[in-house]
Amino acid sequence: MTPEYRTALIELLYQLADDNFILAYRGSEWLGLTPHIEEDVAFSSINQNAMGHAAIYYQMLEDLGEGKSDDLALLRPPAAFRNAVLLELKNGPGNYWDAPDYDWAFAVVRHFFFDVFKSIRLNALKKSSYPPLAAAAGKIVTEQAYHLMHWETWFVQLMMSTDEARRRMEKALSLCWADAGGLLSLGKWGAVMAEHGLTATEAEWRDQWRQAIGQSFARVGYVPIGEPGMAHGDGRNGEHTADLGEALSILSEVYRSDPQATGW
Amino acid sequence: MAAAVPFEQWTAEEKYGHFMRRIENGEKIEADDWMPDDYRKALIRLITMHGISEIMGAFPEKEWVPKAPTLRRKLAIMAKVQDEMGHGQLLLRVAEDLVKPCGKTREDILQDLFAKRLKFHNVFHMPSPTWADAAVIAWLVDGAAILSQTMMLKTSYGPYGRALKRICQEESFHAKHGESLTLSLAEGTPAQRRMLQEAIDRWWEPLLMFFGPKTKEATGHTNVDKNLKYKLRTKTNEELRQEFLSKYVPKIRLLGLAIPDPTLRYDDEKGEWIYREPDWNKFKQIVTGNGPKTDERLRLRRTSYENGRWVREALAQWKAAAV
Amino acid sequence: MTDSVHRFYEEYEVFSRKKGDLPLEHRFSLLAPNMEMAMILAKENFFRREPVADLWIVKRSDIRKMTQSEREAFGRLEKPYRETRGYGDLNERWRAFKARAGESGDAGP
Ligand SMILES: [Fe+2]
Ligand SMILES: [Fe+2]
Repeated sequence: MTPEYRTALIELLYQLADDNFILAYRGSEWLGLTPHIEEDVAFSSINQNAMGHAAIYYQMLEDLGEGKSDDLALLRPPAAFRNAVLLELKNGPGNYWDAPDYDWAFAVVRHFFFDVFKSIRLNALKKSSYPPLAAAAGKIVTEQAYHLMHWETWFVQLMMSTDEARRRMEKALSLCWADAGGLLSLGKWGAVMAEHGLTATEAEWRDQWRQAIGQSFARVGYVPIGEPGMAHGDGRNGEHTADLGEALSILSEVYRSDPQATGW
Repeated sequence: MAAAVPFEQWTAEEKYGHFMRRIENGEKIEADDWMPDDYRKALIRLITMHGISEIMGAFPEKEWVPKAPTLRRKLAIMAKVQDEMGHGQLLLRVAEDLVKPCGKTREDILQDLFAKRLKFHNVFHMPSPTWADAAVIAWLVDGAAILSQTMMLKTSYGPYGRALKRICQEESFHAKHGESLTLSLAEGTPAQRRMLQEAIDRWWEPLLMFFGPKTKEATGHTNVDKNLKYKLRTKTNEELRQEFLSKYVPKIRLLGLAIPDPTLRYDDEKGEWIYREPDWNKFKQIVTGNGPKTDERLRLRRTSYENGRWVREALAQWKAAAV
Repeated sequence: MTDSVHRFYEEYEVFSRKKGDLPLEHRFSLLAPNMEMAMILAKENFFRREPVADLWIVKRSDIRKMTQSEREAFGRLEKPYRETRGYGDLNERWRAFKARAGESGDAGP
């Protein structure tokens, strides 16, 4: 492994781990608060899957000598995170324990965008030049079919129902579209990653994602304005919002609370 | 039973006699079977309270879902709280089928909850200020719940029994999860052990209350008797509390933790635990909707339900459009 | 309560087959606004742990169940002629044939 290959690999693994970790957290904040009890249960499975995927990637980083996987998830400063900014944004005003004014339309669109992208990325990673990653992607991708079916069902039904739902969904769509470019970015090491066959090129998965999302948009008669953007910056390069810092302090509150503790 | 006269034409007495014989024979009653009014009422009270307790019980632990210390704990507590929501789903479905003949739905049950017309277990009105509370809830509150749920597995009402069977299978994971969290803290630093001890101190009285008052003289009502008569349950509150004490007091002591009741001891002669009675007036206050966290948690549930109204209206509409 | 709330809370019954060679069994019921939604909800509400080889969703109002009157009324007399236990005499009759064959010595062992 050349130093350049290693750096690109580690950057990529952080992108994969942090994406899943942060969105699983945002999803877990919804637990007990979704519009339907049955959906609380279903949604939680998707969040557990994503948190489990994050744990697999953090473990790969641990195996590469980056440190303990719990430390990687919980003790890095926000600027070290490589997740797309779209995934870190708050679910809405308020906190999960107090007056949450969460936006279900935003949850549906964000998760739908992410899971379509995640499937494309995993299929590309199955051919990664780093064998442990290729093997992990092959396993993880098997959980995607359910995620896609779940979010596609929610997306289509809400888009095709009442005027109010359409209005809320279109608002969420433009919010998510403004940062969807950050999902598709590979960051400043992207060219090296593709060159070494770690993953597909940014252009390839951008095309695939546009095509897949375009088909769903066509089903519901929606036309986005412009290209997916990076309104809040490129998380792959460590640019983040204050929402991430807040999230990390909640995620690590207990873990940090007793520096002497060796087990939890 | 002679079938010459169709069942609908039987007299109320014949139906009642037939119903009680079925109960005594250990047969299972189903949702659309004829049942006496007070059997239906007893079921609705019992199962609605159980279901709502699962849903409201998700909140004190849910506070710790995003904060769980490690990746593994985050995964496990998510799964555990998800199960509790799932138990709420199963039980509410059973309750919904029972209130259906009265023209009621889940919407009505939730509105009753918001208006404090429904009770839920005392333990879920209590605060859970530290991570150790999540451990003690999963270990001891779930431990107490397992005892009462297992006792009802053979209940005469078929749908409830089937839901409980599923629930008890999942509870065995909850118990392990709780034990694991507790052991980690008990094995840990002085600060971790202190946090655990404080949680035990907070939860001891609510745990004793969980099973309900000892006698009907103390409660002034006869729900327990009725539940025994209809074979909805097989043990009294006190029998369950004694079981709980026998199962957990030795374990708590083995961990070197103190139980905040200096009078607690096992009386060999009587063959039972002697303990300090919890404050039953406080209990009554709590379960009638005046616990320390009642309003906050009800507000959380109500706001989220109201916030989701547009979603439910939209999907009801979508189906109408698609037909 | 608005009518639309009722339409959101439709009852669906969920059936599943654990493995390919097992029969379909009733699992539980759930509330959902339509079939597609019922399907995605059923999967994680009832099969988070146990295997599921196939999953069926049926709208409860499409099910014709027995009424209690029918359940109580449908008796049945014993019908030994359609059960194996109605043919308990066969062994004895075979033995009679074997005994006869033994006497005349013309049948094998
Ligand atoms: Fe439970
Ligand atoms: Fe539990």
